[in-house]
Amino acid sequence: MKLTEPMRALTLRLDDELFAIEAQSVREILDLVPVTEVPNASPFAAGLINVRGRVVPLADLKVAFGMHRAKADQDTRIVVIETEIGSEPTVVGILADKVYDVTDIEPAAIEEAPRVGMRWRPDYVRGIGKRQGSFIIIPDLNRIFETQGRRSAPSSASEERAAS
Amino acid sequence: MSSDPAETFRQEARELLEQLEQGLLDLEQNPADADLVNSVFRALHTIKGSGAMFGFTDVAAFVHEFETAFDRVRKGHSPVTGELVAIALDAKDHVHTLIEDPQSAIDAGVPILEALRALVEPDRFPAAPMPAAKPAPVAEPAAPAAASRWRIRFHLPSDALLYGTNPVLLLGEIAELGPCEITALTDAVPTLDAIDLEDSYLGWQVDLTHLDPTAALDDVFLFLKDGMDLSIEPLVDAAPTIAQLAAEADEVELHAVTEAVALREPEGERTDRATVTTGTSLRVPAERLDELMDRVGELVIAQARLSQMAAHSADPNLKTVAEELERLSSGLRDTTMGIRMVPIGSLFARFRRLVHDLSRDLDKQIEFITSGEETELDKTMIERLADPLVHLIRNAVDHGLEGAEARVQAGKPVKGTVRLSAVYAGAEVTISVTDDGAGLDAARIRQKAEEQGLLTPDQRLSDQELYQLIFAPGFSTAKEVTSLSGRGVGMDVVKRTIDGLRGKIELSTVPGEGTTATLRLPLTLAIIEGMLVRVGNGRYSIPLSAVEECVELPASADIASRGRSFLDIRGSLVPFLRLREVFAASGEPDGHQKVVIVSSSEGRVGLVVDQIIGNTQTVIKQLSKLHSGLETFSGATILGDGTVALILDTSHLVSYGQAQEQQLGRAA
Amino acid sequence: MSKTILTIDDSASIRQMVALTLKGAGLNVIEAGNGAEGLTKATTETVHAVITDLNMPVMNGLEFLRKFRQHPAGKGVPVILLTTESDDELKRQARESGATGWIVKPFKQDQLLAVVKKVTGA
Repeated sequence: MKLTEPMRALTLRLDDELFAIEAQSVREILDLVPVTEVPNASPFAAGLINVRGRVVPLADLKVAFGMHRAKADQDTRIVVIETEIGSEPTVVGILADKVYDVTDIEPAAIEEAPRVGMRWRPDYVRGIGKRQGSFIIIPDLNRIFETQGRRSAPSSASEERAAS
Repeated sequence: MSSDPAETFRQEARELLEQLEQGLLDLEQNPADADLVNSVFRALHTIKGSGAMFGFTDVAAFVHEFETAFDRVRKGHSPVTGELVAIALDAKDHVHTLIEDPQSAIDAGVPILEALRALVEPDRFPAAPMPAAKPAPVAEPAAPAAASRWRIRFHLPSDALLYGTNPVLLLGEIAELGPCEITALTDAVPTLDAIDLEDSYLGWQVDLTHLDPTAALDDVFLFLKDGMDLSIEPLVDAAPTIAQLAAEADEVELHAVTEAVALREPEGERTDRATVTTGTSLRVPAERLDELMDRVGELVIAQARLSQMAAHSADPNLKTVAEELERLSSGLRDTTMGIRMVPIGSLFARFRRLVHDLSRDLDKQIEFITSGEETELDKTMIERLADPLVHLIRNAVDHGLEGAEARVQAGKPVKGTVRLSAVYAGAEVTISVTDDGAGLDAARIRQKAEEQGLLTPDQRLSDQELYQLIFAPGFSTAKEVTSLSGRGVGMDVVKRTIDGLRGKIELSTVPGEGTTATLRLPLTLAIIEGMLVRVGNGRYSIPLSAVEECVELPASADIASRGRSFLDIRGSLVPFLRLREVFAASGEPDGHQKVVIVSSSEGRVGLVVDQIIGNTQTVIKQLSKLHSGLETFSGATILGDGTVALILDTSHLVSYGQAQEQQLGRAA
Repeated sequence: MSKTILTIDDSASIRQMVALTLKGAGLNVIEAGNGAEGLTKATTETVHAVITDLNMPVMNGLEFLRKFRQHPAGKGVPVILLTTESDDELKRQARESGATGWIVKPFKQDQLLAVVKKVTGA
């Protein structure tokens, strides 16, 4: 990704990696709230939460990145963002193991994601930034939601279970 | 209202064109009704005028021609015939295209206009040529060299003041032309006892320095020229001789004010059939209504939370307030729902045109009767009903009604009848489409169903169940595919749409006498009564309108066993689904499982749950794309304690249950 | 203090256009959708001029004009008729019914303003 200006981003931690989300897509940050499980949904978006009277899906990027998912603790937050799914603007919440701050990442500090040898799918990563000595992964949220969103488990399988 | 006048015009034009269509269709039934002709004419006139104003010149030009031809009809020179109405309807369609999609339409108008003119008579009614305005009396200009001073004299018509003319403004306009001296002429002013305060008696004389003010004065007296006295003469710059003064004195005549305002008899406003009812109504963008609905929904949720808190509290004041709030929010909900309610008549009106066209295309005479136009439905529901009803009407006309010969042979009137009605029935609206045609042929349906593998020859079905097969995808008993119907694409879409509206559709028939399709729809969409149940650790809402009854799961069925899962409900077998398994719930099931029997147009299924919690008002929230693919759920809602609960799509569950049962039936 | 103009027309788009034009020139505008509504407004509110269409349902422009002129509030108030033709017969009828002037449709915004200025001085 080529930037001309610094990217204003919210940094957060998933498992042991740092991620950056563009600040302008962040609507709010919540403490953990009760999550309603959606039966037969893909693990990526397994729950629904109530954000100011609005029903919002809760997604876990760790699933997309194949990372280890630990239990939630007092640092866990939900970052409510606006993204596009199939060119439809959608509000979703993403789980964060810890939320840091909003900083500017200099364009010079951002590099292309390497095509091979990386831990995750290259198409999920827009770029890798560096800040104070650590690597920060800039995820391609649109792409992730597009791909993962298509994976809701078909209902027929579960219903077959039920009628037997 | 849109802030773009062109867009407002388009909206307005759409309404006017609809009115126009209804008027033309009415006119076909009542060709001698002069009021109808007038209202058609008025609609055309308005579209033409506004069209020209907002740059829709093609529209204005076409409508002008249309109007001219229709003017002959209005003046009684040409009769109203079915032919005329048909062409007029084509012309109306063309105007619609010109407004919505101008690129595609321009040449199509010419043949329509020609047909219209040919009908209405070859020699067109000549458009009144614009006559030249009568020139104001102007005296011969004197020798050019000296003509730079002019004497302007005028008396206004006696009613000028009454009719809003302000002489001061006129004089001001003249004064702008150049340096001048103004004198009032009082010779026409009567004695005090004869003065009528509203009349104009004064005249004025203005001596103006100007090259030639004739043209400019034309403009000043634009509205008054024909009724006033005006003289414009060049002044010679010499001192007037006494002779000249005397001559001038003679020219000033006393005008007897004799113009009586001839008040015509008012023509007696008759109420036309197709008049726009301009009551005090307001045009509101649809998005605002949706927003309002959202707010009310949120209020209902918050109030439910408060009620819950009050229930757990010992504070009597809190309880009282919570009750009051419940009453108020319920009232607000009802009122807001009411705003979204629109009479179904608007939809019915569209169908008249459809039936008219079908009648011509299929060469069948059809009587189309509607009732219950004032029955109100949620606005979004009405829009979604349009297509299904079109299909049903088409089917009735195309397949239901027999041709003229067959009808006569059967002893029926040549004119077939299609009846469309809407009526309230409790918390539902019942819409039915009835025809007096040949009725459904059960044997043929059966045959077709077996051919398509939907039935086995020995399978026994009730008539109702047999007719429901018509809604299966691809099913069609039409011997030939006409361009209108018969491809079997229609009925399954109809059913899906009705299911999507949480409604039911049924068919009933009497062979040889006719068929009726009945739609039953719940009255509101966005906020419904839901039955809250618990399955494992999760809570789910089931739309109450789909719930038939609740029973306990008998111990005998409680043992998980292979093979059919059926309950015997008063003699009929109802399949059941264990939701714990559908949802892969963890933990141990509750001791006494409950079964909620839900129904859809396809049949019934029992949903086995751990616990039935109670009924609540459920504000329906749509699911995002991440979850909308899950057919088991039709939406989500927020409960009184702030958590999210999913709403079950009972139609889907019933379909699934039925399909399962059939598969198992085949396997057994 | 700015003057108030009443515009009467059954076409919402024309009313909107007239209102926009006149408000842009600093005038107040009130609206009515037919002659009857217009008559009510014209006789209950302070109106410095009226611009009315001819062809309207419920009560047309000429009828409005005649009734308005019979009412005390209607004497001396300029009334401009919007017409689509400019034939003499119509103008004569208009004048006899009490019109102060007319504008031929379609008209441009500056034409409208010019006529309003002419009859109200505003």
